[in-house]
Amino acid sequence: MLSGLQNPRQAAAQLLNFGLILSTAFMMWKGLSVFADSPSPIVVVLSGSMEPAFQRGDLLFLWNRNILSETDVGEVVVYNVRDKEIPIVHRVVRKFGTGAHARLLTKGDNNAADDTELYARGQDYLERKDIIGSVFAYIPFVGYVTIMLSEHPWLKTVMLGIMGLLVVLQRE
Amino acid sequence: MASQERIAVHNLADLKNTSDDAIPNYLNSLKFKQDHRLIDTRLALGYSAFAVAAACFAWDYKLGFDATKYYTAAAVALYALLNGVLTFWISFVEKGVVYQGVAPDGTKISIATSTKKNVPIYNVKITVTPKNGSPPETIELARSFTEWFDVQGHFIARPFQSVFATAVPLIAKADPKRAQSSAPVPDFLNADADVLDAIAASQSTTTSTGAEATPAGKKSKRRKA
Repeated sequence: MLSGLQNPRQAAAQLLNFGLILSTAFMMWKGLSVFADSPSPIVVVLSGSMEPAFQRGDLLFLWNRNILSETDVGEVVVYNVRDKEIPIVHRVVRKFGTGAHARLLTKGDNNAADDTELYARGQDYLERKDIIGSVFAYIPFVGYVTIMLSEHPWLKTVMLGIMGLLVVLQRE
Repeated sequence: MASQERIAVHNLADLKNTSDDAIPNYLNSLKFKQDHRLIDTRLALGYSAFAVAAACFAWDYKLGFDATKYYTAAAVALYALLNGVLTFWISFVEKGVVYQGVAPDGTKISIATSTKKNVPIYNVKITVTPKNGSPPETIELARSFTEWFDVQGHFIARPFQSVFATAVPLIAKADPKRAQSSAPVPDFLNADADVLDAIAASQSTTTSTGAEATPAGKKSKRRKA
């Protein structure tokens, strides 16, 4: 393995192999984004507000194109609120008007009240452009590991430690 | 140099890579001129694909998704195309070629190697294209790695070089000493560790992976082993 580093072409080829793994993963993600027309075509459910439809840790696949019909009441959508980092997964419960400027109101199935509290200051409804996709498929629970890692940061340290130990033990 | 380094003898990739690395060392030491065009093309394709992905990452990070999605779509298509060409290049043009070069007399030589999963046999395909335009000649070899690796995983250059010098007249002409020494290869599998250490030590001090002549005294020592 190390002997390859003496030859600049082989070193470049080994570095390339590593780089191509990273860039291929990134470009597949971007390809999916472009295909679904959504900046984030796969999201993990972080809260229990959509139970029993979705649990924490479910992995959702989003579709953000209105080819056959507009986004309508009853669809579960993921939306971004101005100045807030984390996208929210809730159901559309009211719709006033049609087209890009239709006013949409959302609510979590498991919440007592609708989402007007969650919207930005002065915002009473969503428009189509706030939505980054409608849920069209999901895999239960597989996203839970990301919740574990973000809620218990020490797990990241443990994981890195285990990986480092393996690298040392395997001498690769 | 590969001969000083030990590899895990049960790791087929290590066996093949070490042997692959030894071919250019050997032939270049015989004044063959190596041609790097195949790997240079591969590197150019791969790094341009990587540059496309890096640029896409940069504009996506700075400007956001919606402002750049048509460029991103184009970048994804271009990346897929470049990667497709790269895959085609590796599997249909390179086809395992580890060495291309020109002998001092102008004859072209191309060496492709391969292994089958879990079979410790080194398959070598050597194509020699004479300068005068006569059709290329192909020589195929299938030799066990045990012929040039000892039990401890040291690469032994001499028997490895003999395999090539004996099988390929072009190499024999450039390195007659190795071609003549086509005596039976010592049985490394049944030799004990001390003897092998002695062999490895004498090898690494005198020959490394080049093709210098070894004094006759040392040759007889090896036969006893």
